[in-house]
Amino acid sequence: MTKTETAPPAQLNDLIVLIAQSRDRRAFEMLFAHFAPRIKGYLIRLGTSVAAAEDLAQETMFAVWRKASLFDPARASASTWIFTVARNLRIDLLRRERRPDFDPNDPAFVPGEEPAADARMMRDDDDVNLRAALGKLSPEQAEIVQMSFFADKPHSAIAAELGLPLGTVKSRLRLAMARIRATLGSAP
Amino acid sequence: MTIRHHPEDEFLLAHASGAGSEAVSLLVGTHLALCPECRGRVGAMEQIGGALLADVAPAEMSSSALSSAMARLDDVPEESSAQASDLSPPLIAPEPLRSYIHGDIDRVRWIPVGPGVSYRPLLTRDRERVQLIRTAPGTGVGTHTHRGEELTLVLAGGFTDLTGSYRRGDLQTTTPEIVHRPVTDADGYCITLAMTDAPLKFTNPVVGLLGKVFGF
Repeated sequence: MTKTETAPPAQLNDLIVLIAQSRDRRAFEMLFAHFAPRIKGYLIRLGTSVAAAEDLAQETMFAVWRKASLFDPARASASTWIFTVARNLRIDLLRRERRPDFDPNDPAFVPGEEPAADARMMRDDDDVNLRAALGKLSPEQAEIVQMSFFADKPHSAIAAELGLPLGTVKSRLRLAMARIRATLGSAP
Repeated sequence: MTIRHHPEDEFLLAHASGAGSEAVSLLVGTHLALCPECRGRVGAMEQIGGALLADVAPAEMSSSALSSAMARLDDVPEESSAQASDLSPPLIAPEPLRSYIHGDIDRVRWIPVGPGVSYRPLLTRDRERVQLIRTAPGTGVGTHTHRGEELTLVLAGGFTDLTGSYRRGDLQTTTPEIVHRPVTDADGYCITLAMTDAPLKFTNPVVGLLGKVFGF
């Protein structure tokens, strides 16, 4: 494995595609260098111990290697897809619970108009738009959205922690999501 | 199928962020199987998760992390998409619910709790309970309110209360402020998947059939 063998792709998405197509170890190395410390940092913010966060970051990257062929760059950016892989592994390995979810191959699954224009906000420029939308939230709305991801507790507990009525938390969340969806151009 | 009643953002976000419980994800995941619109919403929420992951302060990995990861890469079978099932529609219970029943609705062994009403518990975690409830046309479960929140997803038939009419795919969220008396629509049995995070409170205990269901 020489580092000059393949030119580094500009996009993180392409690294996952390279892994899927040719089991490209150099691509994995670059992806690991970028994402493993972020996954670890994310988990530590969630309250995971440093040691468990390190292990889970490793496991997530290993899962990325195994599941790379399931990654569809038209549907999700690399960071969004890796977020979902880490999320599911954390529930499975740390909480030791199931995370029931729909199965698109299930005959009872009701397909949508995919990939429809309205929900196709998964490209890189859409990630830029999303960041802009997050940046434009009021401090109160941004706090609720951040806590929804990092507090690892139900919104009733978030409300209690902030000393707010649950209805206030819900309405801030609803307004925040409406603003984000409006920016992304999806259905309200 | 037009779905008119969707989960609140709170529940979609609990599912998307990973903070939600298994019970919440069972309700939300089953709704998502039937609702492309909410799948789009969850996709946007996962995208927020991706942005937060991209922007979080990185925590340095140990010096041996990369080499030990690289050492594991050989001889690992690659996962590919699951094969489509050979079950044929129409199915009442989509995944993920079907895995909890170990089959479609016809496999459910119903427990009668009163005239026209039966149920089957599926999941109990802490204070949360998930169950299937079947009510005969024209029957109801009695006037009740809630100490906590109740999520009810319609799988077959429908019911109506003062907040509206609910049919397959519709998900009703009720809170402690709501007193309601759902009545099953006349066109057949109504089958719902219901989750409570606290026991129901019946305004008239005599008609409180669901009291038995929800451990009252």
